[in-house]
Amino acid sequence: MKKWLMHDSWRHVIAIAICLFSLFPLYLVVISSFNSSGSLQLTSFIPREISFKNYQLLFNNPTIPYLTWVKNSLIIAGSVALLSVMIGSASAFAFSRLKFKGRKLGIQLLLLVQMFPAILAISAVYVIMERVYTFAPAIGLGTRPGLLLVYLGGAMGVNIWLLKGFVDSIPAELDEAAKIDGASEVQTFWLIFVPLASPVLAVVALLSFIGTFNEFILARLFLVDMNNRTVAVGLQQFIGGQYSQNWGPFAAGSILASIPIVIIFLSLQKYIVSGLTAGSVKG
Amino acid sequence: MTYLIRGKLALLLKIIVVGLLSAVLLMLAQSAFAQHEYIISAFLALTMLALALTYLTKVSIPLKFFIPGILLLIAFVIGPILYTVTMSGFNYKTGNLVSKEEAIIQIKARAVEAAPSGISFDLKLGKYKGQEAILVSDIANLKYFVSTADSRIPVAANDVTLNEYGVAITAPDFIALTDAELAGADKSYSNVNFVYEGIYFISLEGFDAGIVSQQSLEYIADKDQFKNLINGSVYSDNGRGNYALPDDKTAILEPGWRAPIWFENYTKILTDPRVRGPLVRVFIWTVVFALLTVLTTFALGLLLALALNKPIHGRRIYRSILVLPYAMPSVMSILIWGGMFNTEFGAINTLFGTHIAWFSDPNFARVAVILVNLWLGFPYFYLISSGSLQAIPSELLEAAAIDGANPRQIFRKITLPLLLQILSPLLIASFAFNFNNFNLIYLLTGGGPRNELDGQIAGATDILISYTYKIAFGTGTQDLGLASAISLIIFVLVASISLYGLRKSKVLETFA
Repeated sequence: MKKWLMHDSWRHVIAIAICLFSLFPLYLVVISSFNSSGSLQLTSFIPREISFKNYQLLFNNPTIPYLTWVKNSLIIAGSVALLSVMIGSASAFAFSRLKFKGRKLGIQLLLLVQMFPAILAISAVYVIMERVYTFAPAIGLGTRPGLLLVYLGGAMGVNIWLLKGFVDSIPAELDEAAKIDGASEVQTFWLIFVPLASPVLAVVALLSFIGTFNEFILARLFLVDMNNRTVAVGLQQFIGGQYSQNWGPFAAGSILASIPIVIIFLSLQKYIVSGLTAGSVKG
Repeated sequence: MTYLIRGKLALLLKIIVVGLLSAVLLMLAQSAFAQHEYIISAFLALTMLALALTYLTKVSIPLKFFIPGILLLIAFVIGPILYTVTMSGFNYKTGNLVSKEEAIIQIKARAVEAAPSGISFDLKLGKYKGQEAILVSDIANLKYFVSTADSRIPVAANDVTLNEYGVAITAPDFIALTDAELAGADKSYSNVNFVYEGIYFISLEGFDAGIVSQQSLEYIADKDQFKNLINGSVYSDNGRGNYALPDDKTAILEPGWRAPIWFENYTKILTDPRVRGPLVRVFIWTVVFALLTVLTTFALGLLLALALNKPIHGRRIYRSILVLPYAMPSVMSILIWGGMFNTEFGAINTLFGTHIAWFSDPNFARVAVILVNLWLGFPYFYLISSGSLQAIPSELLEAAAIDGANPRQIFRKITLPLLLQILSPLLIASFAFNFNNFNLIYLLTGGGPRNELDGQIAGATDILISYTYKIAFGTGTQDLGLASAISLIIFVLVASISLYGLRKSKVLETFA
């Protein structure tokens, strides 16, 4: 027993040290969220008071539409995740399984386009959406549907590419069999491919959801109106800008917004990790 | 499920959906056309056609699968890329943001000077026979007249009614604006030059006064020149988006317009030391930052993976805690770290009893950036390294052990080289990602610290992408042309890195 402990103790030392490193900022946020003074100070490791003032502020203050921000983030990220997987998987299926003229060229173009960092085109997208606003105020600059379109389009290259990687790794025997049995391409896609690939599609949807939830700069540029903001942009206002360094509500808001994401992540960890690697590593 | 894919119901559904979409797109294309957005309008119309053709006929089956994706790609990726390419060929920056026609209008509007006489009048805004007009009172001489953009109509003193200050408020055929109308009248009246006499006209100063003014510049359309009417100097198109004096190139009229300057934004990057200097500095830091991030996150991740590569007690708990930084929404963690590095109250200084001004010193700021990115990124490499460690066949390691290799030798000669081979595409991908890690820099340090007194835009922790963002959207001069040129250079760099990575991972082999 003792020898076993000696032998593995270095493993525990490293693991515990890095766990502390991981937990420290998170612990600080948690105690700050229960601290009524609104600072992010480390006065003591054990909180002296437990106050729910910050949490109450988020829900009871009409000038802070926290729930609306969360709702905006969930709707935008959810729609982007769902639509990008639907549209992206259809394209990926075509590139991976169907034979047509220009397929190789298409794949090469896709490969190049998906490398363009979306943020580089930010000024162009801004100007385009500003123009769209002049004739279609419902989907132009400053609107949630407009931002949704920009997210959806901007991530389409990466999504198709990622999904194509997955589709390539799914054995083609089944849909070839379906084809021999007389199924059309559309039927093969919906009745054979989608059910077969659904776990993978779920992972891509999840990654896309988390990515969109985390997006900051486009949301900041696009959504000016208080009630249109996403939770990331809304909360940032507490510590920069008009509220200046008010960490209490920021901490409380961040914790509440992060909990669902962290839970989803931890429970689907295994699939997410395989998703992270499968997109780029093969075999 | 099948009835949704095949049969009459499916066909009906399809027709309804495609029909509705086409109607919406057509409506949008039409309103875009009405707003003179011809390219967008054409794109929307073509989109509608493509959707209808693809889904209602049997032109091509693959198109049915990828047309929605491709259209979105064209609209929000390829379109903006082409637009960026175009912008990079223009002097598109503060002072040169509008079109040439718009610039001429604005120069004319700005070139209004008070006449040497310096007379000003009380007046009343209104309509004369339906036209924008002013009722002017020359109180000193008890003279009154109505003036419009093209005529001046004298009014006899006994035809007007005066208010308590002696200002005429009514006159024949003149209908004064109500207070409610005044509020919205600002734009339409302030641009009108109301006739006074000769070259002089009355320009408004607020709603109830006007000053006798003259046009200081005249536009000569057939020569495309502006002539200064006071001193006679001639400003002509300098080919770079401004009207300038022939002998003094710096004497230009504001505003300028977007003029094509072809490759000048690119040559400026290479030759202008004021652009090249900061850019080279930022580029070096970008590479150092991305390299250090990959190295530190990979090293810590691998260390953890090795430590937890054995089913020791509590491994599951450790694992759950260790991935927390990765699972947390990164925007929030970055902002929290920003608060922790505060000099006065920050937890880092409190914890170590130091008093370091983290974000004011360039080197400390760089350390902070790397440290925060280590926290954010090590779980990723921990997760993928522990996965890859299990993929290394145990026979290999056992064989080495039998041959007498010690654990260190096994790690250095077998495990590490194999791991690097498996993970190299991911290491390169991580490098490419951090090369453009905008959120981290923007939210943590804002690129700072920088020496504002020197007029520097680039800060010590600015990476190429945050620097480009500052050039395009910063507080001082905004240079969209230069920012676009730098963007495209970044794209070429990142694409080369990624292509190299992909070639390594041999994805390209599948269609080579």
